[in-house]
Amino acid sequence: MRIATIIAGAVIFLLLAIPLAVQVITAFRGPFLPFGVSSAKWSVENFQTLWGLRDDFWAVLGSTAAFVGGSTVLSLLMAFGLAWVTVRTDAPMRRVISVLVVVPFIIPPIVKAQAYLLMLSPESGVLNQLLRLLPGDLVIDPYSFVTMTFIQALTNVTFPFLMIVPILTSMDGSLEESARVSGASWPKTLRRVTLPMLWPGLLGVAVLTFILGLGSLEIPLLFGQQSGKSIFALKLWSLISAGAGELPQYGLAAAWGCVFLVITTIAFVIYLRATRNAERRASISGKGFRPTVMKLGAWKIPVMVLVVVFVLLTAILPLFALLWSSITPYPIAFSFDALVTQTQFGSFGAVLADPEFWASLGRTLVIAGGSATIACVVATVLAYGIARGRRTGWSKAMDLFASSSVAIPAVIVGFAMFLTFMVINPVIPLAGTLVALVIAYSYRVSIAYRSGYSATLQIRMELEEAALVSGASPLQGFRKVVVPLLMPTVFAVWIQMFVLGTNEFTLPAFLATPETRPLSVYMYAMISPRSAQLYQPDQGAAMALIFTLLVFVIGYGLQWAVSLRAIGRAKRRRPLPGIGGTPVIEPDEPVSPDTRSVAAQDLADQRELAKR
Amino acid sequence: MTDATGGGRLVVDGLEKQYELDGAEVPVVKGVTFTIEPGTFTSLLGPSGCGKTTTLRCVAGLEHSNGGVISLDGNVLSTGTKHVSPDRRDIGMVFQNYAIWPHMTVLANAVFPLQVSAKRLPKQEARRRAMEALELVQLDAYAHRPATALSGGQQQRLALARALAHRPKLLLLDEPLSNLDAKLRDTMRHELRALQQRLGITALYVTHDQSEALSMSDRVAVMNQGRIVQEAAPRDLYYSPADRFVADFVGRVNMIPAVVRSRDDSGDALIEAFGSRMVTPCPPAIGTGADVTVTFRPESVRWHDSAPDRPNVLPARVARVEFLGEIVEYEAEVLHGETVVGTLVARGAPLRSPSSGSRIFLELDPTACRVLAA
Repeated sequence: MRIATIIAGAVIFLLLAIPLAVQVITAFRGPFLPFGVSSAKWSVENFQTLWGLRDDFWAVLGSTAAFVGGSTVLSLLMAFGLAWVTVRTDAPMRRVISVLVVVPFIIPPIVKAQAYLLMLSPESGVLNQLLRLLPGDLVIDPYSFVTMTFIQALTNVTFPFLMIVPILTSMDGSLEESARVSGASWPKTLRRVTLPMLWPGLLGVAVLTFILGLGSLEIPLLFGQQSGKSIFALKLWSLISAGAGELPQYGLAAAWGCVFLVITTIAFVIYLRATRNAERRASISGKGFRPTVMKLGAWKIPVMVLVVVFVLLTAILPLFALLWSSITPYPIAFSFDALVTQTQFGSFGAVLADPEFWASLGRTLVIAGGSATIACVVATVLAYGIARGRRTGWSKAMDLFASSSVAIPAVIVGFAMFLTFMVINPVIPLAGTLVALVIAYSYRVSIAYRSGYSATLQIRMELEEAALVSGASPLQGFRKVVVPLLMPTVFAVWIQMFVLGTNEFTLPAFLATPETRPLSVYMYAMISPRSAQLYQPDQGAAMALIFTLLVFVIGYGLQWAVSLRAIGRAKRRRPLPGIGGTPVIEPDEPVSPDTRSVAAQDLADQRELAKR
Repeated sequence: MTDATGGGRLVVDGLEKQYELDGAEVPVVKGVTFTIEPGTFTSLLGPSGCGKTTTLRCVAGLEHSNGGVISLDGNVLSTGTKHVSPDRRDIGMVFQNYAIWPHMTVLANAVFPLQVSAKRLPKQEARRRAMEALELVQLDAYAHRPATALSGGQQQRLALARALAHRPKLLLLDEPLSNLDAKLRDTMRHELRALQQRLGITALYVTHDQSEALSMSDRVAVMNQGRIVQEAAPRDLYYSPADRFVADFVGRVNMIPAVVRSRDDSGDALIEAFGSRMVTPCPPAIGTGADVTVTFRPESVRWHDSAPDRPNVLPARVARVEFLGEIVEYEAEVLHGETVVGTLVARGAPLRSPSSGSRIFLELDPTACRVLAA
């Protein structure tokens, strides 16, 4: 067991530390690659260059801050509003709303970006068409900075929503009730009690949303090139995809990467502190309560209108725009006339007949499945080892490290992995292979690690000890008791990571070649006017729809298959003493040093969690 | 398994266990010594943090002891340096939260110890024995249900069946009844004891509930702060507590300060308490003039409307009467003249109880009084 833990820890360490180290070294070693080229030597030249172009530097920093910060604030506001409506109000159809908010999670961001682009097209875009129906001369410019920020917020809103819902659900309603009984009005209660209580948790969500936004390339790539504002992700990408005749400036790009790595590290530290405070404030009392429900009353209609507008903007209009684009040969505005005369359905057939579509789909599945498997297996083994092992300085450091991959923006990972595979290529030729992509995608280990850690804590030590005193060796106990109990969590995380993997665009944008590109990149080639021969927007739109449908079917199909098993089991199941939460009746005896190995372990774990 | 499995003889000698807590070594078990004869039932009784569960876990091998010897039927299981792992100790254990594996059926839980043991049984034989174990606890009808479909009491039984399935020499029970409701706890108490006696298995039971310990055990070891303070048969423990801790922990007790005035050769002493003279048996080690504590149980106090012509009578006034159903408990203020010099708790039948505020006389049965060094 110990050896397995150490191996898993080493794998995760190498997976995350080497690329970041290579990036930092590249920043300090010459303009091109840090090793194996004659120009490589230690210097701060790249940072000097960066400083020399400081107008550009400040411009990128400023527009990135405005773009990522603005979209983070916007998506948090939307996510909080939607979460509040679904969890804490008596709004009708709350379940439907929460499903509609979550569904866009499985639409690949690159597809969403493309759909927004189509929807906002000044002439043919369906949203601008709708706006023209209204009085006033409203037209949305798709390439304005504000639009781009707003689109980014809409694209990412599912992520904070999924994180805020449990925070709101687990809040002890009696704390608000006592404020109300003390004579505070609803708004006052919200301001004086609810928000201060939720604040650390929300800050944590904000930081993670910020890092997610900083790391994603899709929206800046599709919208930002025309807006004239350079966003960090785009800057990094364009520095390495140099035009003809130029040498790519890896060193300079690495220097950029280092600057932003420092920024996200600071953000991560804020996140750690925020979540620690969240634990300390402990709004979660663990008792079975329902958060109090706010009566909307007269507000019901305006709230529902806002929700409908949101669903229109995030789901219905984008999908409609995609569908319309896929059945029209070139961008034309929607009209019934055009529907009758101009539409054709050949694009779907063409996509399905395209061998490259099937090949890139196959690669997508292989990369997503392979990386999800690696990440889940390695992270679960490590999580089990650390959650059950003795707390030492090493295990604490490893714990923090394995949790930290959320803090690295995808775009930096993409670039750092790209550099790493170039550097090690003379020894281990992986650059431009599928293996490189599988390794790169696996960087999201912390998702699996965190889930594995808390799932292990949920399995009471007694269950394993019972196996030992029954005569099972530690390995038998692990195989027959721990593994089956961890499996549901691991499956759920696997599916989540698999869907994330199929959606991934940022990493392959740095790492894939035409021979290894997954579907997301192939599709981008189809819709990007810059890729001359491949540019076929109707097929691109058709492919986006098929892609979304496939991810939907696969993701939900797997989830359904797993939940069928789980429900089948749960139906026959009562609340379990021993696994998950509190025993049926609390023991009379308070936690004491006597039952230490169980209780103090739990305590130490809680303390550890609180520190995180 | 209807044939008696027979039990082993457990010897724990000088057991030591320390935990590391925030860098410091905290001793939890400080030289615990006891022996359990084959086929008998011993309870470790004590308050939270007294080291009883740790002792049990050391016997199970779930904790590494730091010193002392544990042996079962002469086989050394652990010393400070040697440690036989739990799967090689030939024990069965019932955990406080049952530790029923939720992903298995009832039968799969019970058959598990038979599948994993070093001397692996043929499949059919393992199954047969597991069914026998389930029959013992009347769960054979539920064999193919998921273990989690069982109620709390049934899960408890299953845990017991699982602990017995491989016919271990020693059964360890860690507060197994504390998660059950009061009624079920009583039933399980009887069943557990009956089963243990029928199988003749050696049992070590850990509890903080004195009524469980007293009602089920052949021997009870009371632990406090990592040490055994008294080990005795339940009756002796109750009526002859070794010290104030045991007296106080096991049941309700009155403790009054007193001074030994004189002694005679028969072992009785004349003592003075609350300004009154009383006669009680007294250990020979306590000499005349010593400050002592006299302990006696509330139910050994009788009350009278007028002073009976017998020794050991204290005048008192009833301060509070509490009706508890099967008994009445009352608090009496002992009077010396008109001043209150102390309070006693007494218990009696509910049909004839003194009324609050009335003057009464309390009579202490000398044979129920124990004199302890103060």
